[in-house]
Amino acid sequence: MRKTRNQLSIAAVALILGLLVVVQLRSQAGNTGLEALSAQDLTVLVGNLNTRNEQLRGEIATTQRELADLQGARSRGESSVDQLRLDLARVRAWSGLDPVTGSGIRITIAGPIAGAGVQDLLNELHNAGAEALAVEDVRVVPGTIVAGPTGSLSVENTALVDPFEISALGNPATLTGSLTRSGGIVAQLAATYPTAQITVVPLDAVEIPATTRRLIPAHGTPRL
Amino acid sequence: MTAKGQNRAIASWQITLGVALLALGFLIAAQLRTEAPRVRYASNERVALVETATDLQGRQDTLKQQLLDLRKEIQDLESQGQGSAALFEDLNERLRQARVAAGLTALQGPGLVLQLRDSANAVPPDENPTDYLVSARDLRTVVEELWLAGAEAIAVNGERVTAAGAIIDIGGSVLLNSAYLSPPYQISAIGPPDLFDQVNGSASFRDFVRGRVEAFGLQVGFAELPDVTIPAYAGTINLRYARSAAPASSPGP
Repeated sequence: MRKTRNQLSIAAVALILGLLVVVQLRSQAGNTGLEALSAQDLTVLVGNLNTRNEQLRGEIATTQRELADLQGARSRGESSVDQLRLDLARVRAWSGLDPVTGSGIRITIAGPIAGAGVQDLLNELHNAGAEALAVEDVRVVPGTIVAGPTGSLSVENTALVDPFEISALGNPATLTGSLTRSGGIVAQLAATYPTAQITVVPLDAVEIPATTRRLIPAHGTPRL
Repeated sequence: MTAKGQNRAIASWQITLGVALLALGFLIAAQLRTEAPRVRYASNERVALVETATDLQGRQDTLKQQLLDLRKEIQDLESQGQGSAALFEDLNERLRQARVAAGLTALQGPGLVLQLRDSANAVPPDENPTDYLVSARDLRTVVEELWLAGAEAIAVNGERVTAAGAIIDIGGSVLLNSAYLSPPYQISAIGPPDLFDQVNGSASFRDFVRGRVEAFGLQVGFAELPDVTIPAYAGTINLRYARSAAPASSPGP
């Protein structure tokens, strides 16, 4: 009994020491250029960090549930095939290996625009929270680039014929709002490419195809 | 009798200390876990914002590590599951491949590291100082060039470039996957042996060098390496609006 108490005291001391060390290390680390940011930039940064941290907490909660289910199934001697299937479907939908459907927007681009402009638009769509993107029938995955000078755009060796469409899956109001707000990407592109016409239409149902790219690396090896 | 009494006194002192420290530990942990940002609109708003941002960054690092650890644990458990062996093996292999494809697994292989630094040139009085800093557009250009040259995995300052990540400007620094990155930027890529030559030979990369490196003095450095490690993406893969449209029984590639 006394031994247990002693151990408890030691454990508590270790706990507080660990916490203090972590707090100390944290306060010393990471003064990387933050001081140079304006108050406005810092506010945007804090907003972004908060959003990502919220998402991470959500993801951690989901993953913890998944782990508990798996452990439960194992202790009952059941197979975790259903869990595996769910997990597989989730990873495949997110990564672009499977087609996805849901609400979103369709953007039509008519007239001359350069590849860099389209890439800026795709980047802004990701920033606005789009969950899946396609340029015409090509799912946007890592490595999918709309390239080429004005008038001869291509994506994954497919020429883009004027006009072409971009589909984005996500909250239609949020996506439309982020793109078309004053000073937003549509306004910026209109300034750079004055003769191009960009229209954004919110939709209840958007279908995004699966990628045809081979996403399994040929040169790198997974580190497990 | 006396010796025993003394022992008992020490023990109760230890318990008191233990309980007090435990409570303190909980309090500190609770403080650290407070969800809301501690934005204080005090006399110096900027100082408070820098503190908040630093604090949130630290938490982000902890959360990312926690997520990676959990995923590893699940992966380990799943790979030692019971049940119909053949079906199980098949599912597991497909899940392993899907995770690699999604960037949820770290990748190691030959490639290159490209470093981008702000200009060291003095900014002439009639020019925009921002032009002399590495911008999100500069980073995107380099990342796009690497993809076009055949890269199969890319990270910037240790943050994996994924299907869903945006690179946006924030002051003189950038956000990637909402992680705050500051210069110098190390862009690591794994790819074919001619990755460097492909990037270097690309007309659009030469435009970038002329327009940004030569014109404003941004500093670019390359290193071809036999062994580059690209970390796993530590972020959400939760879809709120999208649902899978794959046929239910689709075996998939």
